[in-house]
Amino acid sequence: MRKKLSVRTIIKYLTLILASIVAVFPLLWIILSAFKGPGEINQYPTNILPKQWTFDNFRYVLSELNFGNYIVNSLVIALATTFVAVTISALAAYGVVRFFPRVGKALTRLLITTYMFPPILLAIPYSVIIGALGLVNTRIGLIIVYLSFSVPYAVWLLVGFFETVPLGIEEAARIDGANKLQVFIQVVLPIVAPGIVATAIYTFINAWNEFLYSLILINSTEKMTIAVALRALENQEILDWGQMMAASSLVVLPSVIFFVFIQNKISSGLAEGATK
Amino acid sequence: MRKLFKKKMLVWGFALLASIFLISACGGKDKKDEATVDGELNGEITFWHSFTQGPRMESIQKSAEDFEKEHPGVKIKIESFSWDDFYQKWTTGLASNNVPDMSTALPNHVVEMIDSGAVVPLNDLIDSIGRNRFSEMSIGEGHVDGNDYSIPLYSHAQVMWIRKDLLEENNLEIPETWDEFAKAAEILTKDGVYGASFPTGSNDFLGTRYLNYYVRSHGESLLTDDLKANITSDAAIEGIKFWVDIYEKASPKDSISYNVLDQATLYYQGKTAFDFNSGFQIAGVEANSPDLLEYIDAAPIPKVNKDDEELGIETANIPMVVWENSEHPEVCKAFIEYLFEKDRYIEFLSATPVGMLPSLNDISEEPAYKENKIVKQFSHAEKVISDAVAKGTAIGYEHGPSVQAGLLVSQGIIESMFQDIITNDVQVEKAAKAAEEELNEIFSSVEQ
Amino acid sequence: MIKRIKKINYTSWLFILPAILVIVSLLLYPVLSSVVYSFTSKHLTRPVSTFVGLQNYKKILADEQFYKAFFMSIKWTVASIGGQVILGFILAMLLNSIKIGKKMFRVLLIVPWAFPVVVIAVIWKFLLNGVYGFIPTMLVNLGLTDTLPQFLSSGTLVFPTILFVNLWFGTPMIMVNILSALQTIPEEQYEAAKMDGASTWQTFVSVTIPHISKVVGLLVILRTIWVFTNFDMVYLLTGGGPANVTMTLPIYAYKMGWGLKLLGKSSAITIIMLIFLLIVCSIYFYYSDKKEKENV
Repeated sequence: MRKKLSVRTIIKYLTLILASIVAVFPLLWIILSAFKGPGEINQYPTNILPKQWTFDNFRYVLSELNFGNYIVNSLVIALATTFVAVTISALAAYGVVRFFPRVGKALTRLLITTYMFPPILLAIPYSVIIGALGLVNTRIGLIIVYLSFSVPYAVWLLVGFFETVPLGIEEAARIDGANKLQVFIQVVLPIVAPGIVATAIYTFINAWNEFLYSLILINSTEKMTIAVALRALENQEILDWGQMMAASSLVVLPSVIFFVFIQNKISSGLAEGATK
Repeated sequence: MRKLFKKKMLVWGFALLASIFLISACGGKDKKDEATVDGELNGEITFWHSFTQGPRMESIQKSAEDFEKEHPGVKIKIESFSWDDFYQKWTTGLASNNVPDMSTALPNHVVEMIDSGAVVPLNDLIDSIGRNRFSEMSIGEGHVDGNDYSIPLYSHAQVMWIRKDLLEENNLEIPETWDEFAKAAEILTKDGVYGASFPTGSNDFLGTRYLNYYVRSHGESLLTDDLKANITSDAAIEGIKFWVDIYEKASPKDSISYNVLDQATLYYQGKTAFDFNSGFQIAGVEANSPDLLEYIDAAPIPKVNKDDEELGIETANIPMVVWENSEHPEVCKAFIEYLFEKDRYIEFLSATPVGMLPSLNDISEEPAYKENKIVKQFSHAEKVISDAVAKGTAIGYEHGPSVQAGLLVSQGIIESMFQDIITNDVQVEKAAKAAEEELNEIFSSVEQ
Repeated sequence: MIKRIKKINYTSWLFILPAILVIVSLLLYPVLSSVVYSFTSKHLTRPVSTFVGLQNYKKILADEQFYKAFFMSIKWTVASIGGQVILGFILAMLLNSIKIGKKMFRVLLIVPWAFPVVVIAVIWKFLLNGVYGFIPTMLVNLGLTDTLPQFLSSGTLVFPTILFVNLWFGTPMIMVNILSALQTIPEEQYEAAKMDGASTWQTFVSVTIPHISKVVGLLVILRTIWVFTNFDMVYLLTGGGPANVTMTLPIYAYKMGWGLKLLGKSSAITIIMLIFLLIVCSIYFYYSDKKEKENV
């Protein structure tokens, strides 16, 4: 019995290890390539590890191309979008589930209609709206547009998570005299914390990687986001793989760090929340 | 009325939302534009260009700063986007009045800009710099109804890139005709090296470009005089067969999905013996494979017969335009003229030596220009490319600038045709006919 | 049936008001303008356009390429979502069942999700390149094939290849959501099932599945729409080629709207897509509502 179990465990781990390798390999490749000197990335056959480690590519991308600045821009915009969108959406999702079950359902369904339009076609109307508001070339303008795709998604998914919260727990709290907002913050939120985190990751990633609206709405170089800067590097007449790999690493890594950070937040908060 | 109400609602909604945000944001751009007073230049202009990295960007930046110093009333805001992105930027920008005062452009874009009335004539500017200093062809690319809407900033042309070491090892001469090219490419295809890659990926226009090399070297064009697609001419059919043959004999099979990046990377890796590209190839090789730099050189694109005269193939004259929306066209024009001042201009060109060739024909004779290290090292390539620049045009521009020429390259139809022939064994004549019809249908659908 | 805690009042409205504001203000205008464009000869850069009635729709519905792209889009979406859900589910269950290294694996497995699509295209094209790509050369070195596989240029391999890339990219998100849903299952429910003497499988069917089905269902709908309307992944990897075999509807619409600048026509394509997706969603809702009623 015991032996059988451990074979199963080994298979589980092997599967996870294999899946992890497939998942991480491209990132590893990008990072390792970024440390290679000129000529080495394009050497054939390719080495996986750099023969001679160099920081030149990173140095160039950070100092000459100002990627540090773009990372900060993207970070500010993505975090602000995530914060605002998740707050608005969590309130709305809870409101829909608890107070407007009927109307709410229809409403959330209407929400996803917005996803049925390819962004490329929404770009023109958005640039008109943001232009009319005088918010072209501002971060606020961009964040507002990002809400248009983050809020529907977040509401839609959070509704699913909130519906799993047993009503009994809330009723108990209400009997203790807590008001709606207190019940929401103290009782319900901890239970759906994993769902909130999943939604937050999604919102962050989408805002972080968003390219089209950022290209169209932001003009000045100092406000440019990282996705636009990356594309500018890729579409050059003079293609430099080393720089491209260094820039790509700098785009992907902050999201990965964000994952690590936010994941640790859930696993602690949740277990207690659910059993309270 | 209703619209107004909707707008009000919108604004109100946004105001509410905006107040939620805790982060501070930078204010919108404030346009404090004053009228020009007694001849002195005044006002703030925005300049969009596509030099997103390196010395070219710095050179422009420096010129702007110098110009501001000389004209205290002027402020130049520089913003840069890559070529591909720039297109989306200005097309949506037109809808929301978010376009610059002046910008760089691609010849194909200029036609569309003129078509939508977005740019102003620059006849006076060209006259002031010296009309005869530019090549007639380069100015002609922005010439519509007696007006010149664009001014060429620099030029480059497509040429053949070779590997001297590989040719030498195999006792081969630089091919001068397509037949020689095909033979050499076949011979060089061995030991993991390919003679020549024939790229025809769907999200780029390389298939069209390669076919155009062949067709133009026959003195033909991919467009007819009345601007219809011309893929079924004898030269075109022969050209299609030629490249399919090269694909089969000398090219990696993967190349039917290649875009410009994939194609260039193959050359950087030393995996192809011949390649076709502009003078920017030098900087690309230098950045990616410095060891190869000493072995590369440029040669004219092959001809039909050895003693044929050299015909122009594909030249790109990168223009600048001044936008209709600008409140200070006079500032823009003065700044453009400033960029063309001799020393300043030579310094700009030296940012990508041999990649950017002067559009003013007197500059190439200047000692300061010739002294550049790379220009010296690649003096042969420089000459080859300069000769090609003088004779060539943008693809399809043999009949003057047209929207059709732009559509010819942007729709991926010729690329798709090549893929069809190669992967589905469709007969060449049939595929060419179908592609031609498809293009003509597209041409007619956009005519107004 | 969920009982309402209290009568509807103003505090309840405050919960949903901000979201309604965002939606109404940001989506009404773009959506309506697309509908209007679809009945006009709207051109991307030309200022003037005229009303053309159903012309745009008629022309598109008569285009053979449209149906090919439509079919390709359906195939692409179904295969992508199906694969992502199955893989995401397996990985989430595995992650949920192990004790050591859980956090580490969770982070490693969601790495692909952090990739912007530009980087996805560049790196996978590099790794899969049929001349120097790491993966084809590795396959040859391992003796699995004799010639370098042409992953992105062979008419037969290209679809499985881009599907693989989309699974690689999309599975993490499904996995994270399923995992989050698994974690919101109160421990008591498992204990209760155990007390009733349910087997592992029975517990799985009676506790786990019902609990996560809601979230998974919503997610599938969302991702289906997203994949169906997504343009850049396929475009950057293949551009719709070779020989148009990977041309999806969004690429078709893009070529119309930005390549040909026929914004009116491309809006019409979008509206057709919208109608199709609405039908698909309505069918889904019909069945999920029916199921819900049965469960009550």
